Amino acid sequence: MSFKVDTGLVSSGAIQSIDSYQLVIAGGGPAALSAAIYAARYGIKHVVLESWKPGGQAALTAEIENYPGFSSIAGSDLTSAMKKQATEAGALFRMETVESTTEENGKILVKTDSSEYTADFLIIATGAAPATLGVPGEERYYGRGVSFCATCDAPFFKNKKAIVVGGGDSAVKEALHLTHVVSELGLVHRRDKLRAEPYLARKLVEHDKVTTYWNSHLAEVVGDDQGVTGVILDTPEGRKHIDTDGVFLYVGTVPATEPFVSLVELDKNSAVLTRNIVGTSNPRVFAAGDVTNNGFRQVVTAVSEGARASAAVFELLEKEE
Amino acid sequence: MRLIPGNTIADEAKGTDKLTLVDFSADWCGPCKMLHPVLDKLTSELGSKVNFVTVDIDKDPAAANQFGIRGVPTMIIFHGGKEIDRMVGFRDKASLKRDLEALAVGTLG
Repeated sequence: MSFKVDTGLVSSGAIQSIDSYQLVIAGGGPAALSAAIYAARYGIKHVVLESWKPGGQAALTAEIENYPGFSSIAGSDLTSAMKKQATEAGALFRMETVESTTEENGKILVKTDSSEYTADFLIIATGAAPATLGVPGEERYYGRGVSFCATCDAPFFKNKKAIVVGGGDSAVKEALHLTHVVSELGLVHRRDKLRAEPYLARKLVEHDKVTTYWNSHLAEVVGDDQGVTGVILDTPEGRKHIDTDGVFLYVGTVPATEPFVSLVELDKNSAVLTRNIVGTSNPRVFAAGDVTNNGFRQVVTAVSEGARASAAVFELLEKEE
Repeated sequence: MRLIPGNTIADEAKGTDKLTLVDFSADWCGPCKMLHPVLDKLTSELGSKVNFVTVDIDKDPAAANQFGIRGVPTMIIFHGGKEIDRMVGFRDKASLKRDLEALAVGTLG
């Protein structure tokens, strides 16, 4: 079995053309879509290289309840509406994955799986992919009980047992989604309290179906030919075997920065190191959303950063004219 | 990409000299929707080597059970009726194409 939590960054292929733009926006999630809306409205000649994953991670979120204007909206509906708005504003989208980037003579060269572009400016908004733990059984049972997407796989666990590993907003939101389906839900977190928004955290911890395992780590996923049958946890009371049919992992993300390593400075977690929110170590490159080290990984901050990045590009283009 | 009934997977996999990629998919699955244009594109690019078909696990839950599917999208690749590889989750077009080409070289020569 191939174990890949896709970053969307590995590609190869014949180069067909070289197009020149004032701005290339790399990414397809809320940060890129917002940057596209603003770039189009500013009249910047641009292209959005959205890879093959329109909507990014947000599109995989079952319900978003903290985006202003919507009490609750499916992530995919929100990102589809953003893309529609960007397209109507005149944004140009291409389903291409950025493979590498370099800078030559004041121009950014962007190579994708099928084309090559030159641009005066680049906005990196490629987001992040789910992190893995690397524990025994995690890879073997991926797709056979181990999942990184409750929104996608919850129906397989109707009236079954599942555990969620993690304590951030994603873990808690997806765990709440699972409570509608499963018979019992275990929550495994390495600390003694959740990092998630208190309203959601309380709702989850007080849920009838939920058992919490604080200060605990997932040590191993165990199973048989059919798939996962349980997990082994390291808890303050020692090792524990818990019977479960599903293991949902929300243990952080890995920023999708591989194609940009020669262009901008990264932090120790491979996130783009920003200055003044959307600036980078390269004056021709801006970054927005989960790919940055800005920390607060929300749709509302991603769209804000995308807008700021396009506004910054617009100002610089005005100065250069 | 062709939608096939789950009970025809075995016949589909045996009835061709090419590789057969069966995409187990569902309407409510975001990554499945993202994967469909990738598979449509690869159908035109690799159609001479790979037979691409999709199964809706909502319509055919028995097929998901039969193949031990607990997550979508899952792609099972068959050759001569036998499973030779299994890929879980969304795959980028370029990396999926590269892996399928490698499997085709390894099995079809």
